[in-house]
Amino acid sequence: MTDRVSSGSERLDAVLGGGLLRNSINIVMGLPGSGKTIVAQQYLFANASEDRSAVYLSTVSEPLEKILRYGQTLSFFDPNAIGSRVFYEDLSASLNHQDALTETLRRVVEVLRERQPGLLVLDSFKALYPFASDATAFRRFLQDLAGNLSAYPTTSLWVGEYAPDEIAVAPEFAVADGIISLAAEPTADRDTRVLQVMKLRGSGFLSGKHGYRLSADGIHVFPRLADPVDQAAYTLETERVSTGIPALDEALDSGLWPGGSTLVAGPSGAGKTLIGLHYIFKGAEMGRPGLIAGLQENPTQLDRIVEGFGWSLERDDVHLMYRSPVDMYLDEWVYELLTRVEELGIRRILIDSLGDLRATATDEVRFREYVYSLLQRTAHAGIGVFMTQEVAELFGVTRLSEYGISHLSDNVLLLQFLRGESRIKRALTVLKTRASSHDPRILEFEITSKGIELGEQFAEDQSLE
Amino acid sequence: MMGSIVPEVATYSIGAVARMVGVPPATLRTWEERYRIVEPVRSEGGHRLYSRLDVERLRFVAGRVREGISPGDAHRMLSGVSGIFPLPAAEAGTQVLILLAERDPYAAEFAEFFLKTEGFEIVLALDAADAVLALGADRPQLAIIDLLISGGAGLELCRDVHARGIPVLALSSVATRDAALEAGASAFLQKPIEPLQLVSAVKDLLGTSSFLNEVVPAR
Repeated sequence: MTDRVSSGSERLDAVLGGGLLRNSINIVMGLPGSGKTIVAQQYLFANASEDRSAVYLSTVSEPLEKILRYGQTLSFFDPNAIGSRVFYEDLSASLNHQDALTETLRRVVEVLRERQPGLLVLDSFKALYPFASDATAFRRFLQDLAGNLSAYPTTSLWVGEYAPDEIAVAPEFAVADGIISLAAEPTADRDTRVLQVMKLRGSGFLSGKHGYRLSADGIHVFPRLADPVDQAAYTLETERVSTGIPALDEALDSGLWPGGSTLVAGPSGAGKTLIGLHYIFKGAEMGRPGLIAGLQENPTQLDRIVEGFGWSLERDDVHLMYRSPVDMYLDEWVYELLTRVEELGIRRILIDSLGDLRATATDEVRFREYVYSLLQRTAHAGIGVFMTQEVAELFGVTRLSEYGISHLSDNVLLLQFLRGESRIKRALTVLKTRASSHDPRILEFEITSKGIELGEQFAEDQSLE
Repeated sequence: MMGSIVPEVATYSIGAVARMVGVPPATLRTWEERYRIVEPVRSEGGHRLYSRLDVERLRFVAGRVREGISPGDAHRMLSGVSGIFPLPAAEAGTQVLILLAERDPYAAEFAEFFLKTEGFEIVLALDAADAVLALGADRPQLAIIDLLISGGAGLELCRDVHARGIPVLALSSVATRDAALEAGASAFLQKPIEPLQLVSAVKDLLGTSSFLNEVVPAR
């Protein structure tokens, strides 16, 4: 079965493997305030046509007046469609009947015959529970309703304030072909909205939890960036490119492979951002537009830093994407990044820093999977990535990163502070280069008005303590 | 289970009527407001519901307009004949009897409703044995057979019905068109079935679709 029903949101459809299955029964579940009614209305307007109408039947927990009043604030809500393509109807009159569920069923069948809708919403479905005399009566109603909705070519959405543990016990979940859960998960002192497809009969879908936001345009889903291993071959550039620091290029055996990823780890103040800026501005000079994806310095702060070293953010081939890590969604950020990379023809990216991104991820495994997917995409597109990573130890670094990113990176550079005789010195070591040899020595460097200037190897007896 | 023509029942939405008569909904609304001749009833929610008679009258108007007559004149012609406006089945004097062999009672109810609305008589069988009995007793002019009836006895039933010279419209939730046609069915539809698709397939098999497309009023 490949025929799909679109939500009107490309990314939600992607999570659903293309969309809901046509002529299926689906449950949209979530606690109050999770956006169920907004999602249902988005489906309603996205699928209503003169040929196949879309019908919204409200029961008792959501007064129709309120649904319509707040519905009007949504950008896709078209008042002119109501009465011709979209029909709203209140089932409360049927529910006031002595035999409420029989009367409700009768009315639903009548609506199917009269309106012949392509899409039918029942909101709230769970609110029908109290109208059944007992569990058997509710199951009988459920069977009749599902029987009718399966016999007629319509896709239905049953909306309900279900908690996750009800999936195992409420009979409607066994009947449903698709289940979309909307939830809020506590992260630090705030809630993160997550959408999850719990079931989609006969179809693949993007598993796991996907962040989402609600706005006047409806639901914006950020599908979890989790690409499977891509075995497809892709073309590699054959000439190595400069990092922007000649002595570092030398230590790296003539620079970096384009499309490679480089992790720059080091303590605060060691020069990680600066080495990344060299990479970006050198790239721009070579006709490789760069994007600084910053989560630390805001544009004003960064502008001052850049100008201090004789560069400028005014140029057309260097772009800045600054986002505060406060209340940020990990996947929202990456989709914005990938969109800008594509729109601007970016060839080099500086991510400053990984630690800020990690703070927005729910767990470490998820973060590693995320970085892996991002680096696979950039590698396939031949886009180089520099990532900065702060380490806690000022001297004698013993651990590079806490989430195993170093082994995902093609190159790893370590910046350290060393105790000199009367001052602290900075040192750079190339720890790893994939597919090439490198100079393994500990090289001293200084930060001057020209940026990073790499010097000689440290003396053998230099303390690393 | 015998049905009767129910032209007065308002069933069709404006979208459905628009497709049936080939006129956009906005035009139907304009005609209704301007000429006040074909006026659909309103549902509880205030939405237009057209009866089968309304549909035939609009089909007449649309046909005249396509011939170059103005909508106003077409409506005047219609009002002159509306009292004796014929319905196809009634005019024919005999009703078409269809055997509906359907295992799913919900699907059977929908199909029966939409076919009866079109003026057909239905004899319903919920299993293959009943269907065979109905074939002998009621002599239907067409059989609609769910291939999964009685645990998959539909293909055998198709062969039986076909051998009696009765055209078969086969239905199934599973894509088994080839097997159905091989067993003698004249057409196959995959469930769930759109009402208009069902009705037009039935009309095609009965050879009445062209007749229904252009009803000429008796004068």
